[in-house]
Amino acid sequence: MPDRQTRRWIILALASAAFIALIASTGVWEASLRFLFPQESQVLHPRASLLTLVVEHLGLVGISSSLTILIGVPLGIWVTCPGGRNFLPIVTDLTSFGQTFPPVAVLALAVPMLGFGLVPTVVALFLYGLLPVVRNTIAGLRAVPPHLLDAAYGMGMGRFQALFRVEIPLAARVILAGIRISVIINIGTAMIGAAIGAGGLGSPIIAGLVQDNLAYIIEGAVPAAILAVLADQLLANVEGSFAYMPEEATR
Amino acid sequence: MIKLEQVTKKYGATVAVNGLSLEVNEGEVCVLIGPSGCGKTTTLRMINRLIEPTSGRILVNGKDTSQVKPEQLRRSIGYAIQSVGLFPHLTVATNIATVPELLHWDKTRIARRVEELLTLVGLSPAEYAGKYPSQLSGGEAQRIGVARALAADPPILLMDEPFGAVDPLTRERLQAQFVAIQQELKKTVILVTHDLDEAIRLADRIAIMAAGKLVQYDTPETTLSRPASKFVHDFVGSDRALKRLSRISVESFIKSAPTVTINASIKQAEAAIGSRRSAWVVDDKGQLLGWIDRTDLSQVSSISEGMVTLESKDIALWQNATLREALSRMLGQGFKSIPVVDEDTKLIGEVTLGDVEAATAEAEE
Repeated sequence: MPDRQTRRWIILALASAAFIALIASTGVWEASLRFLFPQESQVLHPRASLLTLVVEHLGLVGISSSLTILIGVPLGIWVTCPGGRNFLPIVTDLTSFGQTFPPVAVLALAVPMLGFGLVPTVVALFLYGLLPVVRNTIAGLRAVPPHLLDAAYGMGMGRFQALFRVEIPLAARVILAGIRISVIINIGTAMIGAAIGAGGLGSPIIAGLVQDNLAYIIEGAVPAAILAVLADQLLANVEGSFAYMPEEATR
Repeated sequence: MIKLEQVTKKYGATVAVNGLSLEVNEGEVCVLIGPSGCGKTTTLRMINRLIEPTSGRILVNGKDTSQVKPEQLRRSIGYAIQSVGLFPHLTVATNIATVPELLHWDKTRIARRVEELLTLVGLSPAEYAGKYPSQLSGGEAQRIGVARALAADPPILLMDEPFGAVDPLTRERLQAQFVAIQQELKKTVILVTHDLDEAIRLADRIAIMAAGKLVQYDTPETTLSRPASKFVHDFVGSDRALKRLSRISVESFIKSAPTVTINASIKQAEAAIGSRRSAWVVDDKGQLLGWIDRTDLSQVSSISEGMVTLESKDIALWQNATLREALSRMLGQGFKSIPVVDEDTKLIGEVTLGDVEAATAEAEE
């Protein structure tokens, strides 16, 4: 009997395989959408196959979320360090501003400078997803009990040793929770990329809205929703593997 | 070994430690004690440079610590704190291995050392090495904390209320274990506490601090019998004669006691008791069973019939017990003499109330 954690990974792998099979089988989609919307002459968006749309969408999310993580986590670490503490208020303000600013508005502002397509979309998504990552990194690091740091330094750890051996492992779960929120938001928000030609699952939705074709909207929305659920489970499993207390791992 | 020269620490206008000079010899236990806010913890933390002194010098082995890199200095000084500070995401074994890992010991050496240390603090390596701190009791965690501080075999140990966060019974056991370990390892220890009984029990010398200044630095005996000032006199309290008893082992007061074996005849027993009121009864291996009263001897046919059975672990003293414990047993049981047994519960003699009184009188002089 595999333990709970292993079982969760197996279930996730099976679900992902089923999802890929479902996306790849155009016939099934066409048949079911025709059954639901017999009045529509066309039920699948002609621009690209569903598989291509999903891959494009994952590309948008992957690039922007990677940037968010690669910049957000170090930024959060830096502002909690003695060296960066002075920048803590300005960084939290800026990331909050990044989230309150609607991504659509960012697109509108970015297009004149960066043109259409991938780059402005990634910039908008990156800014929008930064807040949960930075906020949770700061919160996770601040929650490390001071007496543990006292012990770490008292035994002769340097700044980086204390950071990598004690602080980050202890803050890992909170940081990962922030990344999880950011990625899930990102999967939904990446829809707007289609408005400026970045492709993805937003394409059939926008086409469906323009042409008043409900089948197109379903074609874009359902895979995106499943994608969000799968990504959430994936990151939940990663988070779970950082449980350092045995009773947490078995819960 | 450790020498503080005119060390001062100021925080703004407040002076936490004021011109403190203190010398701790190699292999000695120095206990820093004083009311809260007297600067004892600040002093301790200045030795491993967790706090930098405002002025003055601290020498470890003749070397000015300000000339040594803090990380390097700290890896050569064991550090144990009240909150223990075990890392919750690491196993007991990895926690103990912290400093050896920082010093890049090889894996087999670390594993061997971890096993050694767990055995030293009285925890089974097989059972405890893989546990997480959340699975330990308070007393176990404290012991792991001490093991971790000793991991790289540092010559110096700094301890900030290492037995503070446990119940009194566990604390007493940990203190006894500390004394045993210290007798074996002979580390130079500076220990901070606010518990005077702990200080008296563990210290070779007690440094009493008040308002950032050292007010007396002496052996526990001298501190108790000749307080240097009214402050120290009040601090050690009016029961200092009693406290002094906890520094004196019963060992030098053990007298041979009238003893009869359980299967001896009544005549032999009468001879052994002589003019005394009673005798201790032992089995043929010499282990303590009970006692028998002289007046009962004439009314019984065998020793076992007239014997009052004792649970020796409740009443008898170990040979390394203190006179304070002896006195407390005497008062508790209403006995004028208490049997003393060795590790195998064999009777080796007795301690009498007269001896305790004599020792108390001597202390008062």
